Amino acid sequence: MGVPAAKLGAVVKRAVPFALTLGIWFTPVPAGLTEPAWHLFAIFTGAIVSVIVDAFPLLTAATLAVAAAVLTGTIMPAKAFAGFANASVLLVIVAFLVARAVVKSGLGRRISLAVVSAFGGSTLGLAYSIFLTDAAIAPAFPSNTARGGVLFPIVLSLAQGAGSMPDDPKTRPLGAYLMFCGMASLAVSSALWLTATSANPIGVEIAEHFGLKIDFGSWLVASSVPTLAAILLLPPVLYRLLPPGVRATPGATAAAREALRSLGPLGRDEKIVSVAFALMVTGWIMARTLSLDLTAVAFAGLGALLATSVLTLDDIAQEGGTLATYLWLAVLFALSGQLNELGFMGYVGGRLASGLQGVPWLAAYVALIVLYVLMHYLFVSQSSQVLALFGVFVEVGTRTGVPAPLLAFSLLFASSYFSTITPQGGSQNVIFVGSGYLTQGELYRVGGLTTGVCLLIFLLLGTPWLLLVAR
Amino acid sequence: MRRACIRAVRSMVTGGSGYGMLRWRSRLARKAPWWLAPAALVLWSACSGPARGPEVALAPGESRAFTGTWSASGSRNTLRLGPDHRASIVSLTGSLLLTGSRGLGIGFQAEVIGMSDNLTGGQGHCVWTDERGDQIFSELRGGPLGSGSAFVGTITGGTGRYAGLTGEYRFRWKYVIDTEDGVISGRTDDLVGRAQAPASTPAGKPAG
Repeated sequence: MGVPAAKLGAVVKRAVPFALTLGIWFTPVPAGLTEPAWHLFAIFTGAIVSVIVDAFPLLTAATLAVAAAVLTGTIMPAKAFAGFANASVLLVIVAFLVARAVVKSGLGRRISLAVVSAFGGSTLGLAYSIFLTDAAIAPAFPSNTARGGVLFPIVLSLAQGAGSMPDDPKTRPLGAYLMFCGMASLAVSSALWLTATSANPIGVEIAEHFGLKIDFGSWLVASSVPTLAAILLLPPVLYRLLPPGVRATPGATAAAREALRSLGPLGRDEKIVSVAFALMVTGWIMARTLSLDLTAVAFAGLGALLATSVLTLDDIAQEGGTLATYLWLAVLFALSGQLNELGFMGYVGGRLASGLQGVPWLAAYVALIVLYVLMHYLFVSQSSQVLALFGVFVEVGTRTGVPAPLLAFSLLFASSYFSTITPQGGSQNVIFVGSGYLTQGELYRVGGLTTGVCLLIFLLLGTPWLLLVAR
Repeated sequence: MRRACIRAVRSMVTGGSGYGMLRWRSRLARKAPWWLAPAALVLWSACSGPARGPEVALAPGESRAFTGTWSASGSRNTLRLGPDHRASIVSLTGSLLLTGSRGLGIGFQAEVIGMSDNLTGGQGHCVWTDERGDQIFSELRGGPLGSGSAFVGTITGGTGRYAGLTGEYRFRWKYVIDTEDGVISGRTDDLVGRAQAPASTPAGKPAG
């Protein structure tokens, strides 16, 4: 009796996204949109909903979606497959492979022991060490994807060093907690510094056309209070949302120091990985100054690791999970980009925002921020959303009387912290998602709640602070 | 009842185990973020305008004014013709939202392909497509594509209910942002224009 019911449940669950897709598809196209835009929205929504209700894994949903989009003539094949050549997508994949070298060489274990020896008294201590390390290095990295490539091997080593394995149900929660801390820390540290992600300078450039001059210092002053509050609050909040199972590790600090001593000097592979990693980090930091391509820097590092046999072709061949990540990320990246190109994002943003005309400014302000954050369910790139919607929302908000500096800063900070709302909400997330520690359900549930917590912090604490300091 | 509601909300927020009838709900909550429903409602409300816009059919010879906003993004390929001279091919698509009750409807998907020269200015061709697939064609002329540059569009015709349409529109790019990876994005919020239907359509039917 139970088995058929379970099977029926699974069938119903799988039928829901298809029904939703067909329902939207055959609904008359709203005035102002075109048929391809509406149909692509139907396909994209079906794919995302199927993942959220756990009907299909991301890879299955993405491959079905891209096939449907091309075979129905909704978008051209060249546009649908463009994500496979996208630099950000490739950077994620290469960063993931480089992380494997850090772990394989033993350097990751050494780093994790060093971190544990300093912060290892409790799991919460480890989480704070991730947030603080990321916040400290963030201003030097113009790309949070590249920063994710630096942070991920450390977090992975911490998880593995603590005995947490993705396939072991007993030990997995600790790794899942640390992985999500990595994602959340990248989201809030990107809001802390103007130079911590490529979306921030784009937003500042647009804000200039609304009469706002934002520089490194004024950004830091504006972001400091809400962002530092988020850094303080998120580790314990995530601790509740994703209980790691291990609370305190009283002997860990001493044990880590002892283990670190017993490791002795750096081995050959560790030295090579250290040098390659240091050169990659330098390249990423200096990318803008030296006109270096971030992805090419990552490829150079990966090439060096392969040439020196630190990574072998066998290692690469075992990275089936990376291939799966590459496939779904590239597909979703392209489909979301096409939704924007076909005018869907501008249409929805414009219609929603203009519906707020005549509303008292405080209500309009809150509504605009909430809408802006929720719309990130449809985006796979933070920069794309800033380019598509930031100007529209500032324009409408200032027309309803919202102070422009308040709205601009709040939207710009949201453009960073909303990245955890979905696993594909920021390419830096994908590196952590690919580790296998976090389940699909956890990613959407905890991602949505983390974004909600950040939204509350930035609205309740950030708004009065911005009214005080933002000019 | 109140307790049950509180338990349900709590289980949705924490993803913790539910009780009795609420168990399936908490399982669902573990999979779906609690604000998916409001998110869907919000999105639906944005798209739930009339399936057809306000009456857009123009009587033969009728002239109508329209205003709107235009958000566009795409790519720019630049050819350097010397230290101070650059020419670029630009391809843009986006959403053109019209305002006013008797304009040309709610909006269009707008596509532009054009050339911009930083010394001589920009020109291009533009297609607006509505929800029925009917199109309006125009030619654009203006300054080099960039923030603040002004453009004039000349409507040269269309298809379906816009067949034979003529007119003109003007706008100024409020901002145009070029990103490092060749993506270009811009927005104008002051598009104004006027369109006129032909005195009689080629088939002798009223436009629209």
